[in-house]
This record gives sequence, structure tokens and C-alpha cells, in this order.
Amino acid sequence: MNPYVPVLIMLFLAAATAAGMIAATTWIGPKKKFADKMEPFECGESPIVNPKQRFSVKFYLVALFFVIFDIETVFVYPWAVLFRELNWFGFVEMMIFIFILAVGLIYVWRRGALEWD
Amino acid sequence: MESLSFPLLSFLVFLPLVGVLVLLFVDRENEAVQRWTALTVMGFGFVLALFVYGGFDPENVGFQFEEQYAWIPGLGISYHLGVDGISLLLVMLTAFLGPICVLACWTDIRSRLKEFLVCLLLLQTGMLGVFVSLDLVLFYVFWEVMLIPMALLILIWGHPARRVYAAVKFFLYTMAGSVFMLVGILVLYFYQARTTGTLSFDLTNIAEVPLPFSLQLWLFLAFGVAFAIKVPMFPFHTWLPDAHTEAPTVGSVVLAAVLLKMGTYGFLRFNLPLFPEASVFFMPVMIALALVGIIYGAFMCLVQKDLKRLIAFSSVSHLGFVILGIFSFTVQGVQGGVLQMINHGLSTGALFLLVGMLYERRHTRMIADFGGLSTPVPALTTFFMIATLASIGLPGLNGFVGEFLILLGTFHVKPVWAVLGATGVILAAWYMLWMVQRVFYGRVVHEENRGLLDLAPREIGLLVPVVVMMVWIGVAPTTFLEKSEPAVAHTLRRVQESVQTAQGRNAPWAMACAAWDHLTGK
Amino acid sequence: MEQVMSSISLSAIAPELVLVACGLIVLMIQAVFGSRFRDSFAYVSLLGIGGAAFLVLTSPGAFESKIVEYSFCDMWVVDNFSRFFKLIFLIGTGLTLLISLRYLDNEAMQHSEYYALMLLCTVGMMVMASAAELITIFLGVELMSISLYALAGYTRSRMMSNEAAIKYFILGSFASGFLIYGIALIYGTTGTSQIPAIARYLAQAGAGAAVLVMGMALLIIGFGFKTASVPFHMWAPDVYEGAPAPVTGFMSAGPKAAAFAAFVRIFMEALPTLQTDWIMVIWLIAVLTMTVGNIIALVQENIKRMLAYSSIAHAGYVLVAFLAAGELGLTSILYYMLAYTFMNIGAFAVITMLAGAGETRVKVEDYRGVGYKHPVAALAMSLFLFSLAGIPPTGGFMGKFYIFSAAVKQGYIWLAIIGVLNSVVSVYYYLRVTVAMYMQAPEKDEDVPAASALSPALVVAIFISAYGVLSLGLFPSTYVAMVKESFLSFL
Repeated sequence: MNPYVPVLIMLFLAAATAAGMIAATTWIGPKKKFADKMEPFECGESPIVNPKQRFSVKFYLVALFFVIFDIETVFVYPWAVLFRELNWFGFVEMMIFIFILAVGLIYVWRRGALEWD
Repeated sequence: MESLSFPLLSFLVFLPLVGVLVLLFVDRENEAVQRWTALTVMGFGFVLALFVYGGFDPENVGFQFEEQYAWIPGLGISYHLGVDGISLLLVMLTAFLGPICVLACWTDIRSRLKEFLVCLLLLQTGMLGVFVSLDLVLFYVFWEVMLIPMALLILIWGHPARRVYAAVKFFLYTMAGSVFMLVGILVLYFYQARTTGTLSFDLTNIAEVPLPFSLQLWLFLAFGVAFAIKVPMFPFHTWLPDAHTEAPTVGSVVLAAVLLKMGTYGFLRFNLPLFPEASVFFMPVMIALALVGIIYGAFMCLVQKDLKRLIAFSSVSHLGFVILGIFSFTVQGVQGGVLQMINHGLSTGALFLLVGMLYERRHTRMIADFGGLSTPVPALTTFFMIATLASIGLPGLNGFVGEFLILLGTFHVKPVWAVLGATGVILAAWYMLWMVQRVFYGRVVHEENRGLLDLAPREIGLLVPVVVMMVWIGVAPTTFLEKSEPAVAHTLRRVQESVQTAQGRNAPWAMACAAWDHLTGK
Repeated sequence: MEQVMSSISLSAIAPELVLVACGLIVLMIQAVFGSRFRDSFAYVSLLGIGGAAFLVLTSPGAFESKIVEYSFCDMWVVDNFSRFFKLIFLIGTGLTLLISLRYLDNEAMQHSEYYALMLLCTVGMMVMASAAELITIFLGVELMSISLYALAGYTRSRMMSNEAAIKYFILGSFASGFLIYGIALIYGTTGTSQIPAIARYLAQAGAGAAVLVMGMALLIIGFGFKTASVPFHMWAPDVYEGAPAPVTGFMSAGPKAAAFAAFVRIFMEALPTLQTDWIMVIWLIAVLTMTVGNIIALVQENIKRMLAYSSIAHAGYVLVAFLAAGELGLTSILYYMLAYTFMNIGAFAVITMLAGAGETRVKVEDYRGVGYKHPVAALAMSLFLFSLAGIPPTGGFMGKFYIFSAAVKQGYIWLAIIGVLNSVVSVYYYLRVTVAMYMQAPEKDEDVPAASALSPALVVAIFISAYGVLSLGLFPSTYVAMVKESFLSFL
């Protein structure tokens, strides 16, 4: 009745087949567990450090600043394209925007967030 | 006096607040000035009350000394004061006891006298406000405001062992009751707004709107719970012994003499005139609870070991009489009830004062610790005896008149109630006289009692007016009864009408049906 | 383009602009001059708040006419409703700043960020009150919430504060997700995110689209989180306990009011046609919120936590008014939020004053003897607590009175009864603090907390709050007249 019904059936069958295969190997396949086999695989090497390492918070700060100051491009670009049509109105608006960003930058800079150490 | 535009009632109600303001500026150390300030204010309040009393016209049925100003016009809430014969007597009682209470705490309160007097004065404002408010919201505000100073009195100056328990219990019980009343008030308000189209919380306006029976039932219950807890009626009385026992002397006096009357006053002022059919409907229940209260309270008195607890339970019994009188719906009965409110205020107040004086001397309230006190303290014994006799209704003293009128009124309606009520009188004589015998007569058993000091002039001075009033009411009750009679008759008018029409209604299923109809939206 | 430019009305957002400017100035003062002028942060901020309040009050037609002024392509609306809420926020923020002056010194946190975050949070709340469009509301919600996350964790050295910030952040973002999804679904069905347009669409198309109802349900969840209504209240106790005391007072008053402002505007103005769908849900939430809040508050030992649960319960009372709707219902919401701001921030002023360094004295038992050592503070605290409990003659009583009147008027008698019973329950735990304050003084004087954060500013804040509570209780008419003008704009 509905043209999409066969598609749905197809989807369901595909999913069922895939799930069935995984399930079948888990149930039927023979398994031998020993210590080395349970190790995470790193190109045949034994892992030497804990993979759950922490990064210094400075990386996040930098990433954050990047996002904040990068987003402005999204606004600046269309403004540049429409610069003539927007005329003074656009200019003033964009200056206010940039000014607020600049305040943020000054703040970040003076509070020492840009210093690595 | 009628044409006098001087806002006498406002002055009367808010005068204690002026006293509070003055007290706030008095040096903490200067206790004498604090006492005299409070005494002056209370005394002046009594003088103002005397002016009200003198200017009151007993022929006039309506409210007098009325004052009305818009308070919250948007909701029809007004500042409306006025007295009629019933509230007049209670206002008088409250104002009369004001200076006596201050005198009574002259030496009793050892810590933070200033705060104590502030609480007392605030309480006075709250109580007077309750009796003279004619606007439901104003009434509710005063009703609740008065809770706080009373709870603080118990909490701070009560007896250390159980004061917190008693204060919290008192507060929660009363509050629980009164919130139902608040909902009741709102329902009443919106019903009258819907039927008449005017917004008003004014009692005189609301009283004119006849309510359907089913609504009356619910509202009677909502208001009734608040008042029954305050009275307190059996089975809502359990806060009373604790509060009375743990409160300081003056607190007990105010509680017994005035606060409890607010419950009975509420029944008279609101339940009877506003919900006449429901009142008739609930009459058997109320009478039954009153009788149970009378007899149960009396039996509880017989087994008490603590003097204050005994007097507290005697209050349950005596207030049962008041309810009995009110719900007899006869003029004699209700008149007796009104008078009995005053009587109980005087006699129980006096008893608490005397027990307080004993406690101040001996630091115990246990009956077993006394015995043979008539030898060391003859004057105290005399006063105690007079108060006891007034309390048990000896002819010639005030208690007799009230109880007699109540029983007379009840007898007209159903003799068996009067008979059952009368057993309360007999039991009262038993437990009171037995207590007096154990405390004051016989031999002095405990050595400590031998050296007790008799009453000081101040104490005699504060007791004498009370005794004078007891005798006055006992000998010439008409002076007071004639003031309240027109108001009582007026209050009863609608109830008595509905007594005639509601004969067939008093079946339990009718109540269930009506209630069900109301719940399911008629 | 012409339309955009012509609808820009700087005067409509002048109060917000002033606050933003002051926030930035405060930040710049510290960034440029360092901590040399740290005393100026508070003055600049308070000046900004005063200026914003002045602009709100003097904006054309304020509390006089019922003119509703739309601007920014109908995204922004200035009416008396939003003005009233803005005043509530400004009062709340102003009082909080007064309270925190000395506290910040004591905790060595006298930074410009605190003030900037406070001001920006207030701007967020004001945006929520004035937005006439769902995305703008969301913008306000986020501005407010993000500032609050930071404020909650402002005492960085205290673990509790950190925990509060993280919990608030995670659960708050979750709630924001619900909110934005709900907005998306509503936009999907109605094709617009502007509140008046949604109302117009629904009036024509009628209710009933399942997706729309789902969107509405998601909005209820989102606002339920923001107002801390049961069952979306889990974050509140931990956050309120962990956050610095002045911030807790602020959080439980202003942002809650802001959430209600947006909630009311969306549900009363945009979705009134769906009333039959939301009424039962809100009824249930209101009952649960009141009851759970009050009952759990009974057993709290920490006074901040106790007031957190009490704040949950108070959201329940406001929901009762929300359900009752109509003239009286809306009056009572506005009135109650104003009263609640005064009494709750007042109570937190006293808590702040006594909390001591590192907020170590915040247990109910710590208040023993306060009545003797600090009589005025104890009296004020009792006043605020009695007001919270709804005992006359306080603003709390009048607020509850209005709320339950509204409920009874609309026939929600059971709701009113449950409400008043809840107030009785609440009396118990408020009374406990008073009991503790006036109970026998502890043996040693040192056992009574010292007034460590006492400052003239704090005293002023306490007096203003007390004055507000009393005048709202004794002379409600003036406020009610103002409130009445305030909701007529969209009834």
C-alpha cells in the first residue's frame, strides 16, 4: 500500500542479518581467553602508558579562544560581502560587535589567560 | 457618644503598639521604667475600654463605634472595626486583664523583661483586634498575628523542660486550624462576589447573602475546625494542657482568659449567623462534643498531679459549657455562654495567677509537694478559695450565673443534655475542692512550705479587682447581661428560624448527600 | 532591510544596554588597572542597576498606559509585565550586591568577574522577561544560566561550590536542551517562533497536533528545571547548598522569577488554546512541588539546604497561581515573586552575615543564641521567616492570600487546601530556626556565630528587605495597582 513499506522491510532484514551474524559468532564461535589477548591492540606492541591521559587545561583555554574569535568571521564575512548595501548602519553595527570582542580580548589578555606558563 | 468620630477602637487596639515603640527606646537595664511603661499603657487601654463601655448603647442591635477605611480596595478588603454586645464584653475582659498581667509579671520574669513586655503588648493588640474586626481578612490577620507573640512567650519564658515542644505544638495546631478558615473565608468571599457582584470581605455584607445548605456544611466545618481547636473542644484539646503548663504564669493567664475565648467568640460571630442551617445540622455533634469535653475534662482533672495541668483540663471542661450554651440556640443559653466566657476568664485567670504566685515561692507545681498551706499563707489561701468557688459555680459568685443560664437554656431544648452537663458541675466541685484540700488544708507535710511568705501588697492589689468583678457578676449579672442581650438575640435570629425549618434534615445521610452534591459540582 | 533598521529601538533595550555596559566597564577596570580600584566595582554595578531601574520606571507609559511596544522585528516587547519583572530582578540583584560586599572581602574574592557575571545574569533575566520570541527567550535563558553556573562555583577553593557548579552546569544544559527541542517542535508545527504569531496560528488552526503537544511538554520540562519544580528539582538542593550564600539568595529569587516570566508569557500568550492539555500536568506538578519541597525541608539541618527546599515549595505556590491564571492569578504571581525576592534575599542576607569565613556556620543549630547576640538581625530573620511561612502581617502572607484567592476563585479548592496545609507544614521548619535563635544561649559566647560579613551595605540590604516585606504585607494596594497594570497587556 505504501511504497516505502518494502524499503522498511529491507532495512529491517539488513539490520536483522547483521545483528544475527554478530550474535551467532558470539554464541557459536570457540573462545580462548588469556592475558595477552585481553590487552588493547597497539600494532603488536604492549601498551606502555595509560591511554586515559589528561591534557593541561591550557589547551582547552586556547581551543576556547579559538572558537570565540573564529566565530566572528562568520559574521564578518557576509557583512563584507554586503558592505555597500548595509552602508553606515552595517558599519556601526559591526564596529559595536568588534568592540565587544575587543573588550573580551583585552580582558583575556590582561588577566593573563594568553600566557602559557 | 454615638456621634463621636474619634476612632476609639483603633486607639484601643493600637495603643499597646505605641507602648511597644516606647519600650524599644527604653534602656535594657532600666527594668522599672519598662514595667511602668507597660502598666501605664495597659491601664490607659483599660480606661479607653471603659469609655467604649460607657458609650455603648445596649438598645442598638448593630455594631457600634464603627470605623471603616478601604485597606485593599482591589479585593474589597477594608479596615472595619466595630463592637456589639458580645464583643464588648470580651474587649472589656481583655482590657481589664491587661494591667493585671503586667502586674503579675512584676517580679516573675527574671530574664529579658523588655522583650517579654513587648510580646505581651503585641498580644494585647492581636487579641483586641480579633474581637473588634468586622472584616474577615482583618480578622484573620489579627488571629494569626497573635499567634507569634504567644508562641514566643511559651518558647522563651516557658519552663525549660518542654517549652519548645509545647510552643511548636501550640503553633502548629492553631495554624492548621486557621488555614482551613482561610480557605473558608475565600470560598465565602467568592460565593458572595458571584451572587451579588460586589467584592467584599466585610462581615456585615457577607452576612446578608444566604448560602446554600451544602455550601454551609463545608464552610461550617472549615471555620469550625479553626475555632474548635482554639476553644479547644474535645478531641482537639491536646495542645492546651501542654501550652498551659509550660507557659509562664502570665502566658497561661492570657491563654486561658482570652485566647480560648476567641474560639467560642468565633462560633458566635461567624458560624451561627453565617451558616445557620449548618449550625442547626451540626448541633447534635457539637453538643455531644461539648458534653464529652465537660465530662472528660473533669475526669482528667481528677487524676492530675500538676496544679497547672489540672486547671488546664478544667478549662476544657468549662469551655465545654460555653459551647453547650451557644449550641442550645436559646437566648438564655447563649447569654450564659457569653457570660461564662467572662467568668472563665476571671476565675481561671485568677487561679493561674495564684498558682504562679505559689510557683514563684516554691518552684514546684506538684500537688504532692504542698499541703497545709493555709497556715503559712492565709491570704493566698483565701484568694485561692474564692477563685475556686467562683470556678465551681457557687451561688453569689460569677460562675454560678453563667452555668445556671447555660443549663437553663439547654434544659429547654433537651433536658438530658442539661442533666449530663450538670454532672460536670458536680465533678468540678469534686476535683477543685479535693485539690484545694490537698494543697491548702491538713498538716504541713513538707518543711519547705512552713516558711513561705504570704501575698505582697502588689499581689493583693492585682487580685482584688478580679475578686470584685467575680462578686459583681455573681450578684448583679444584669449589668453585663443587658449589654449583650440584644446582640445575642440578633445573632440567634437566623439560627432560630432555621431550627424551625430544618427539623427533618438531621439525618446523617442527608449530610453525606449534600456534601456529595457539592463535591460533584451540584 | 528597511524593516530591520526601522524596528531597531535602542530605547527599548536601554536598561539592558546600561547593565551590559556597566558589566564591561567593571571587567575593564580590573583588566586595565588591576585590583587597585577594586572598591569601584560595586559602585559601578550599583550605579548601573540604579540607572537601569530608572530607565525602566521612566520609559514612556510605564505603569500608566497599557501600551505594548514591539520592536526588533517583533522579537522584543516592552510592556508593564516585563517592566514589573525587570524591577524584581533589579531589586534582587541590587540587594545581593549589597549583601556580598563584605562577604567577598572575607573570602578574598573581590573580583570584577563577580559583578560582571551578576550584571550579565540580570541582563539574561531581563531578556527573558521582554522577549516576544522563543529563540530570544532561549538566548536570555542561556545568558542567565551560564552566568549562574560560574557564580555557583565562584568560591573555587571550596569543594561544595565546585560540585554545585558542575551539577548545575550539567543539569542546566540538559534542561536547556529540552527547552530548545520544545521550541523547535513548536516552530515546526506553527511555522513561527514569535509568540503573538504562534497564538494567532493556534487560534486559527486549533489545538491538537501531537507534535505541538510534545513541544509544549518539553517546554514544561525545561521550565520545570529552571524553576526547580518537582520532579525536575534534583539539582536545586546541592546547588543552593554549595553556592556562595549571597549567590544562593540571588539564585532562588531572580532566576526563578525570570523563568516564571517566560513561562507565563509563553503559556498564557502563545499557548492558551492548549490549556486543556497542560492543566492537569501543571496541577500535578504544583501539588508535588509544594508537598515534596516542604516535607523534605522538614528534616534539613543545613539552613541553606532547608531554604533550597523551601524555595522549591514556593515555586509550587506560584504554580498554583499559574494554574488559576486570570486576572487574580497573574496578579498573585507578580506580587508573590516580588515579596519572595524581598523575604528570601533578606533571609540570605542574615545567613551571609553569620556564615563566617568559608561558610562554616550554616547549620540550624549554629543559630542558637543569635537572638541574644544579634537581636536586630534575629528579629529581621524572624520577620523574613514568618513571611516565608505566610504569617501576617507580612508580604508572604498577602502573596499567599492572593494566590489562594485566585485558586479558590477558579474553583481549585482542593489545590488551595493542599496549598494551605503545605504552608502549615512549612511553618514548622521556619519556626525551628526562630526557636534556635531564641533558645537558651550557648554556654560560651564564641559558640554564637559572629557577624563576620556585617557591613553598612548589608544592614541597608536587610532594612530594605524588611521594609519591602512589611509594606507588601500592610499596604498591598499600591503594589497591587502596579501589578494590575502589569498583566493587562496580554490578558
